[in-house]
Amino acid sequence: MRSTAPQDYTLSTFRALANTLIPPPTNQDELESTPGASDMCIYEYIVYALDHYIPIQTYVYQGNIPLALPTALMINEAARQYAYTNRPPFSYQQATQSNHHFFSSLSRQDRIQTLAHLEDLNLDLYTLPTPFQNNAGLIKHVTDALNRLTLFGYYSEWSSYGSTRLNPPDERYQEFFPLSWYHVGYPGVSLGYRDFRGFLLRIRRNEGGR
Amino acid sequence: MSRNPDVIVIGSGGGGAVIAKELGEIGLSVWVLDAGPWYGNCKWPNPNQHRGAESSDDPKDLDGNLYREQITRREGDMNDIVTGKFRWGPADRRRGPWFRNIPDQAILWQNAGIGGTTLHYYSNSPRPYPHSINHQWPITYEELIPYFEKVEETLPVEFAPTTSKEAVFYYGAERSGFSLNDSLDVSTVGYRPQPNAILPPNEHLMDPNYSLEELSHMEGCTLAGHCGQGCPYGPSLEKMAKRSTNISYVPLALKTKKVTFRPNAFVTKVLTEMNPSGEHQAVGVQFRDTWTGETEEVNAKIVVMAAGCIETPRLWLNSDLPNNPWVGRGLTNHYMDTVTGTFDEDTLMNILGQPEINPFVGHTSGARLDYPGVGMIETLGESPGLTAQQLFGFSQAGYYQYNDASKPGGRVVGEPLKEDMGDYRRTLTLLAITEDDVQYRNRVQLDPHIKDEHGHVPLVHYKPSHQDEKKRDYLVEIATNILKHAGAKSVYRSNLAPNLYIHLESTMRMGFVVDSSCEAYQVNRLYIADNSVHYNSAGGVNPTLTTQALATRTAEKIVEKYF
Repeated sequence: MRSTAPQDYTLSTFRALANTLIPPPTNQDELESTPGASDMCIYEYIVYALDHYIPIQTYVYQGNIPLALPTALMINEAARQYAYTNRPPFSYQQATQSNHHFFSSLSRQDRIQTLAHLEDLNLDLYTLPTPFQNNAGLIKHVTDALNRLTLFGYYSEWSSYGSTRLNPPDERYQEFFPLSWYHVGYPGVSLGYRDFRGFLLRIRRNEGGR
Repeated sequence: MSRNPDVIVIGSGGGGAVIAKELGEIGLSVWVLDAGPWYGNCKWPNPNQHRGAESSDDPKDLDGNLYREQITRREGDMNDIVTGKFRWGPADRRRGPWFRNIPDQAILWQNAGIGGTTLHYYSNSPRPYPHSINHQWPITYEELIPYFEKVEETLPVEFAPTTSKEAVFYYGAERSGFSLNDSLDVSTVGYRPQPNAILPPNEHLMDPNYSLEELSHMEGCTLAGHCGQGCPYGPSLEKMAKRSTNISYVPLALKTKKVTFRPNAFVTKVLTEMNPSGEHQAVGVQFRDTWTGETEEVNAKIVVMAAGCIETPRLWLNSDLPNNPWVGRGLTNHYMDTVTGTFDEDTLMNILGQPEINPFVGHTSGARLDYPGVGMIETLGESPGLTAQQLFGFSQAGYYQYNDASKPGGRVVGEPLKEDMGDYRRTLTLLAITEDDVQYRNRVQLDPHIKDEHGHVPLVHYKPSHQDEKKRDYLVEIATNILKHAGAKSVYRSNLAPNLYIHLESTMRMGFVVDSSCEAYQVNRLYIADNSVHYNSAGGVNPTLTTQALATRTAEKIVEKYF
C-alpha cells in the first residue's frame, strides 16, 4: 500500500490514541508479555473500523463515509483547543512545530483530558471538520467509539491475524495466539470445560413448569 | 417455493421463526424474509462471500458440520460490530454494517441473519414477572402461561447448571440474605439459576474417558462459554446445545414442508390497499436482494412484521402506513449497568476449591436475582474483548482515573486497565437490569436527512427517567453487596451509558399500535411478532421468551380470524 500524507497523519494520530488508552509497559522486559495497543498495530484496526462504520447513500452513490481522517482532524483540533486553554504557554510556534499533530504532542494525561472534553462537547464545535461540525451527537458517538474500538481491537483476536489483519474479513487467518489473551489468561476457542458442579434446580415439566 | 404464500414473515429472529413454525404446522404456506445470511445451510457454503441460492425449504439443507466451520467462536470474527458475522449488516462483510443514527454514546447489539439476534443471545429464557403484565397489558399473565409452557418445551428451556461463577454468585446472594426462588412464575425477591434455552451438559462431561472433542459432537452443553459467539456444539444442527431459533424453530418450520426461508432479502415496504369498507389492509411486501440490489414484490393474505424494535417501526414509517403517534414511541432498553468484583485466590479456594473463577466457563449468563418491581441482576462472563469493551470502555461517567468522587464509575484506561484485565480470571461480573418506564420521548423515528439503500435510516433516542436511575442505583447497590459478601476484595462499577441496546422493547405497543392479538389497529391483516409489541419492559426480565410465547399465541389468532 502506497503511503500518502493524509494516511500518515491519520495513522500517527490513532497511534497516539492507542498508545494513550493502552500504553506500552514502563519496564521494557514486559514488552513481549503486555505490549501496548500501538505495538499491536491497533491504530490500523481503528482506521479500518471508522472507515467502514457508516455506509449511507450520498448524492451520487451508495458507499461508506470514511470517518478516520475527519476523526483524526477532530481529535487534533480538540487537542489544540485543550492545550491553548489549559496548558499555556502552548504557543502557536509549538503547534506548528508539531506539524498539526497536536494530539500526539500532548502528555498521556492531557490526551485523555482532550477526549473527555470532546465527549463533554467542551469546545467550539464550529471549528470541527465535516461531518462533525456542529454535530454534537456524532461527536459523542464517535469519541465513545474510539475507546470501545481500541479495547475490543486489543483484547479480541484481531492482532493475531498478523500479516492478514488488513485483508477483507473472510480472508484473514490466525497466525499466532493473541498476546492479549495470553496476558489475561483466556484460553481462546474451547471445546468445553469440565466444571460441572451439579444443578441447583431442575424444571418440573409435568407440574406445568411450576 | 410457492409464489404468493398465505403469510409473509419479515425477520427470522426470536419471534419470526416461532410464528413461521406455528403457522406451518397449522398448514399455511409461509415465506420468511430475512435481511442477513444463513449459516449452517449447504445452499450457502460461503454465505459472506457469495450470494448462493435464493431460498431453502428443505430440512436436508441444514448442515451441522458447515455451521461448525462458519461459527469460529472467535469474538472478533463473530461479534465485531463493524465486520463480525453476527452484526446488523449485509452478509457481505466487505461492506459496512447498516447505519442506525444514535446521536450519543451507544452500543446497539442486533444481528441480521436466519436466527436474528438469537444467534448471539445468551439463551436466557425467564418468564416475565406476573405483576408487570397483570393490570397493565391488555392480556393477563395467566393467559400466557400455556404459551410459555409450549415454548419452554419446544426450545427446550432448562435451569442452568452450576459452574464456578454461578457458585460464587449463589454464595454471595445467600450471605446477603436472599433465598432461593424455586419457581418459573416469580413474584418474590430471590436468586435462582437462569432458565436458559441450552441443553443440559452431557452426562459424560466430567468423565475423562471422553475427550472434549468427542463431547463437542455429542448432545448437551460442554460449558465452552461461547454462547455469545453462536456455539456450534452438538451431533447435528438441530441438536446443537444452544437453542437459537436457527437451531430450534427453523428446523421445525422446515419440517412442516410449508415454510420457505429466504435470506439476503431486506423488506423495504409493506404493501397495502384499501378494502371496500375503506380500511387499509396489508397485501404483500416489497424487498431488495442485498447482493444484487434487485427489488421484488410478493403478495400474501397476511403480513407479519418481526424485524425487531428498530426495524419494525422504521418499516412502518418508510411504508407510509397510517399515522399513529405511538409508532416507534415508548422504547425501553432496561437501562443496564455492570458491577465487577475481583477476588483473591484464598477466598476463591475457600468457596470453590480452586484459585480462579474463570468467567469464560459455562453459560455466559447462568444465574440471576429476581427483584420484581425493580428489575433483576444476572451473572455475565464474556470473552476478553467483549468484557473490556463493555466493562471498561463504555461509560457515561468519563474516565474513572480523572473523575471526582461525585461521579461513580467511568472508563478505565492505561496501566490500571491492564491490571484489571490481568485479574480477568478472578473476576465475577453482575449485570443490573432495570425495569425501566415507558416514556413517549424515547423513540425510533426516521432520520429526515440520512438514507441508505433501504430508505430513511432509523434515528434512535433514549433517556432514562429519574425513577429508572433510582432503580438502577438500587440494583447496583445490591449487586455490590452480593460481591462483597462473597468476599470480593474490590468492586468496580462501569456506570454504563444509557444507549446500550441489548434488550429492546415496546416501540409498537399492544393497546396503542396493535390490538391484544397483535394485529395493527389501522392496517388489517398486518401483525407484529417481535419485542416491539410488549406493553412495557416486562419487569426488567430478558424479553425473548415473552416474545416467543406471544408469537405462538398470535399464530393461533391469525388462523382463528382469517383461515
